[in-house]
Amino acid sequence: MRLEKCWFCSSTIYPGHGIQFVRNDAKIFRFCRSKCHKNFKMKRNPRKVKWTKAYRRLHGKDMTQDSTFEFERKRNRPERYDRNITENTLKAIKKIDKVRVDREARHHAKRMKGKKAKEQREAAKELEQSIHMVKAPVALQQEPSLTLPKIKVKVSQQQAEENRMEE
Amino acid sequence: MAASFASKWFLAGRSLLGGLRNNSLGLLRTSQEMTCSDFLSQQRRTFIQMRTNLKVVDNSGAKRVMCIQALKGKKGARLGDTIIASVKEAQPGGKVKKGSVVYGVVVRAAMQRGCCDGSEVKFDDNAVVLVNKQGEPIGTRVFGPVPHELRKKKHVKILSLAEHIA
Repeated sequence: MRLEKCWFCSSTIYPGHGIQFVRNDAKIFRFCRSKCHKNFKMKRNPRKVKWTKAYRRLHGKDMTQDSTFEFERKRNRPERYDRNITENTLKAIKKIDKVRVDREARHHAKRMKGKKAKEQREAAKELEQSIHMVKAPVALQQEPSLTLPKIKVKVSQQQAEENRMEE
Repeated sequence: MAASFASKWFLAGRSLLGGLRNNSLGLLRTSQEMTCSDFLSQQRRTFIQMRTNLKVVDNSGAKRVMCIQALKGKKGARLGDTIIASVKEAQPGGKVKKGSVVYGVVVRAAMQRGCCDGSEVKFDDNAVVLVNKQGEPIGTRVFGPVPHELRKKKHVKILSLAEHIA
């Protein structure tokens, strides 16, 4: 029994699932479900289809190089059954999975790092520019507590008087 | 008409209904279906039945063969079954001549066949290897990939001649 990878989306194919397509040049394409199979028949490139692992790795959304991936490499030599080795392997699989998940979370956090600060800045800007969308200007003038504190700029007394005269 | 439109969408004739629908439309493929679904895979994925053209992938001399009877199977032959076929196109100096009736083993079928572990295999085209009545291949070489389902059907000779086992 062997757990294969789907050619299109790179998810694992468990036994009893999926379709295997053999092309005449003897290249085998395995698909996990009909969604991937139909996309393949439409001749879509998995590197351009957003939800596949190929796209995510290519565009830096997911980790590409990590030592935890070395454990999952395909080995073609069959191992002689040894109970101890099997037990240890099963324990190791759990641990390696945990490590990989932690590293992926870290990668994701690093990717999203500047996002919170950026969002806050954008929100503040929107608040001062488009407050008229939320409350009418008349209401704002009557209740000064609703507006943001305005920054007072010192204007010379003479200029202020001139402005009043013009009005 | 409804049947033909329905079959355009259920192009992969997965269930047994695929064979029945094909039978109801007539044994020949309708050209209308082929033009409707030109961007999808062009192969009609159903059983191998009377009038099905198959490619010959050994060096027995024949090039194309038309199935005239599927031994075993009410709806048609699948991957690994034997058929009786008539040679439609042959190479000039081969062991079989045009118009002769031969037996063949289907080694590649566009229709998917379930493996014992539950997954399914399908190939790109319909191909056959000519055999004699006892099941031994007439040719001495087999081209292209063959499935290992043949081992269960006791076509070990063909497997041994194959260059790639899928």
